[in-house]
Amino acid sequence: MNNLFDKWKTRIPKYSEVHKDLFTALSQKFGAEGEKIINLGKHFSTNYELYTYAFFLGLYNKELAPIPQGEKKTDFSHHIQHWGSKTTISSRKDFTNIQENMFIALVAKTEIDLVALEKGDLDEDDAVKSLISTMESYTNGGLILIKERLEENPNYFLQPTSFLNLILQIGESK
Amino acid sequence: MIIRKIQIENYLCYYDTNTFELSDGLNIILGENGEGKTKFFEAVDWIFNGENKQLEMLVSAKKLDETEIGDSFRVRASMTVEQYGEKNIITKSFVAKKERPNECSTSSFMIEGIAENSSGERTQVDGSILLNRVFPFEIRKYSMFKGEAELNIFESDSALANLINLFSEAKHYDKYSEKGAFLREKAEKAVDDSSKSDKKNEAQYKKLETEIMFQEKEKAKYIVHLNSTEEEIKKIEENLQLAESHVNNADALDVLNKRIVGIEERIFSFNGRIDENYTTSLFDEDWILVNFESFHKEFADKVFAHSKKQRKLQSEFDKQKGIKEGAQMAKAELLNNAVPLPIGVPSKAHMEEMLYDKICKVCGTDAPEGSISYEFMMEKLKSYLESQDVEDNEPEKDDQLFKFDYTNRLENLSTSHEDNLKNLRLIRSKIKELFEFNDERKKDIEEFTEQLEKEKTERKQILGNSSIAENKLIDVLKNYNAWQRDLKNKNHDQLDYTSKLDKIEIELQRKKEEKEKIDTKSANSFLIKTRKILRDIETIFIDTKEEKFDEFIVKLQTKSNNFFKIINIDSFTGTIVFTRRKTANQTIVDIDLQEDGRTFHRPNQSLETSKHISILFAISELASEIKEENFPIIFDAPTSSFGENKTAQFLNLIYETKNQKILLIKDFLSTEKATKALSIKKDFENVRRNKAFWVKLERPFDPNNLKTINTEVITL
Repeated sequence: MNNLFDKWKTRIPKYSEVHKDLFTALSQKFGAEGEKIINLGKHFSTNYELYTYAFFLGLYNKELAPIPQGEKKTDFSHHIQHWGSKTTISSRKDFTNIQENMFIALVAKTEIDLVALEKGDLDEDDAVKSLISTMESYTNGGLILIKERLEENPNYFLQPTSFLNLILQIGESK
Repeated sequence: MIIRKIQIENYLCYYDTNTFELSDGLNIILGENGEGKTKFFEAVDWIFNGENKQLEMLVSAKKLDETEIGDSFRVRASMTVEQYGEKNIITKSFVAKKERPNECSTSSFMIEGIAENSSGERTQVDGSILLNRVFPFEIRKYSMFKGEAELNIFESDSALANLINLFSEAKHYDKYSEKGAFLREKAEKAVDDSSKSDKKNEAQYKKLETEIMFQEKEKAKYIVHLNSTEEEIKKIEENLQLAESHVNNADALDVLNKRIVGIEERIFSFNGRIDENYTTSLFDEDWILVNFESFHKEFADKVFAHSKKQRKLQSEFDKQKGIKEGAQMAKAELLNNAVPLPIGVPSKAHMEEMLYDKICKVCGTDAPEGSISYEFMMEKLKSYLESQDVEDNEPEKDDQLFKFDYTNRLENLSTSHEDNLKNLRLIRSKIKELFEFNDERKKDIEEFTEQLEKEKTERKQILGNSSIAENKLIDVLKNYNAWQRDLKNKNHDQLDYTSKLDKIEIELQRKKEEKEKIDTKSANSFLIKTRKILRDIETIFIDTKEEKFDEFIVKLQTKSNNFFKIINIDSFTGTIVFTRRKTANQTIVDIDLQEDGRTFHRPNQSLETSKHISILFAISELASEIKEENFPIIFDAPTSSFGENKTAQFLNLIYETKNQKILLIKDFLSTEKATKALSIKKDFENVRRNKAFWVKLERPFDPNNLKTINTEVITL
């Protein structure tokens, strides 16, 4: 039996370099916990947390925004399967459930000819590539939304509830 | 005796010759700090007590500067005193020779004495002897006082007792009591010897003597214990009294501090309970999946649709290929040509269970062995088991419609997340609950913070009311409680020692009486009578001596309190109380300030100073009465804690006392702000005095250059 999920999680998704500043400003690259995050003025312990957040934000807002051709792509050299804390499991939880849900959303939102895939007419790598592409597009959409918020009000994210509220609002407005 | 004139020449700031023509009664010398008051005092002290060393330190820098190298000049302090109509001049001086700039060598000093009788005849005499004749050393000791701190000369050990001995009639009885003791001892020995000569008494007598000696030793030991305990009690009481003024504050502070810590701990714990890491919870608590349900549905639908499509295709493919046709056909017929469920659904375990129970648990009908349903299930299980053997059979890939199976995993994923959906639905209410919880805690914290502010304000007030710092205040309470325990213990000890001493005394008395009985039986009755007389005589001498001593103390106390009341007129004073106390080898007079029998251990400085001055005046007055002669008293800044008003009162009071007084004070001078010019205040006109001087530095001067320093003496 073949497993798209296993394949997908070995990949490193990218983001547009235009959002590099956001990662610097909002996340702590080397991992920080609790007060240290706040002391550093950061909100996310890691880059992949911000990436994950932006993905869901884009997804929920239906902001499928592929990275334009002209924009350079970059990544933070971290395979999806390693996202989530495996070492500091005592204070943080591992991300397997979130990873699976991301995958579920990607499969739901990506046009893949599963029949062709199973027949062998569609290359597995190409299928995974489409999934990653969807992932990058939603993330890009999410990052754009965050950026817009910050441009409107640079202090927007000083409230501890800001990021949570952005997610909760979507459900409420429905 | 009075000092008529003091001359100071080239002594420190007194450049050239400076003359103070003094009067009987009160002489006041005014001067700002650093302008020559203390140097005047030191010059007089130098005449009395100066030592023959480091004389170059006493040379006027201005004079030295003006002197040519190789030239010499005299440094001198002299005093003209009048006694019984005779004039005596005592001069202490040395010669300074300038060796180099700012440096000089000095000769040894000499004391010259000139005595002038009533008819004006002058004779040269030995200065030291003359000084001691006109102004005896033991009186000089109580004549000069520098600053307030030196006034407490009687607080040390036996100083006052010695002084009283000197002045009171008690001293006349010293020689008698010594002689009395000598004679009594002789008589006692004679009686002892006589008694011991009686052989049959000897053993008993010796035994008694030993016992008495032992008891005497015990008695002495307990007296030492008792004395030191009493001293400790006094010290503890002193500490307690000092602490008492702070204890209420300390107590309140302690309670408050405990409350504050309690509140702070609660705030801390509430803060700890507030979880505001909302962004982190998006991941750790899966909150980010709050809106995910529809996406899961979309996924599940998609996978299901694909799975169905895939099976249909497979089924058609199978039919067309004709592989295992019969079996497949039969299956197809069973299903009325519908698309079959995926292989493995229901699971192997469920199939086996249904076959065992002979019931189809999917449609809920009986499936006895041999029925169509039973056979269908058996077939389905078989084909599942066969599908697991695929690898063994090495089927030819080319013959298959689907080379890969992704569907299975996707279906599993869909199913496993199906269960998770109900958790996703709970997220929103969980977040709401947490928000409410945090809000509640925040409200609590706000309340506590408000309370904390209140407590802290109260603490500030307490600390503001206290004259000592917070840390000390905390210590005070600790020490206070410890001291109170100590005091209890010591009081207990005191009682214990006293009762032991009483017992020893009774025992001693009994033994002595026993011994006397033997004496009366066996010794010569003449000897016994003599011993009794001599014993009585000694007692009389000792009692009289003590009585005289006590009489003097009573007088001293009365006089001291008279002065004390007048100096502190209109304000609270208390009473100065003198108590004679005997220790093992000396007599000590304690001076206490009491009110209603309660001792003030720490009166304020002004009260303390006035107490000391009152005693000094009282002694001086008593000395005058006894010696029928007055001696001068010189004070340097004795009243710095008084304030100008009280000083004026004080001056008016001592104006009334009989002897000559020379007072150096810095009161009654004012400085003009703009010009910094010094002047004497108008108030000084109201101060009664016999003579007044003003010592001030000649202007202009450079405070950093001694060569410019010259004190002028202005007679007012």
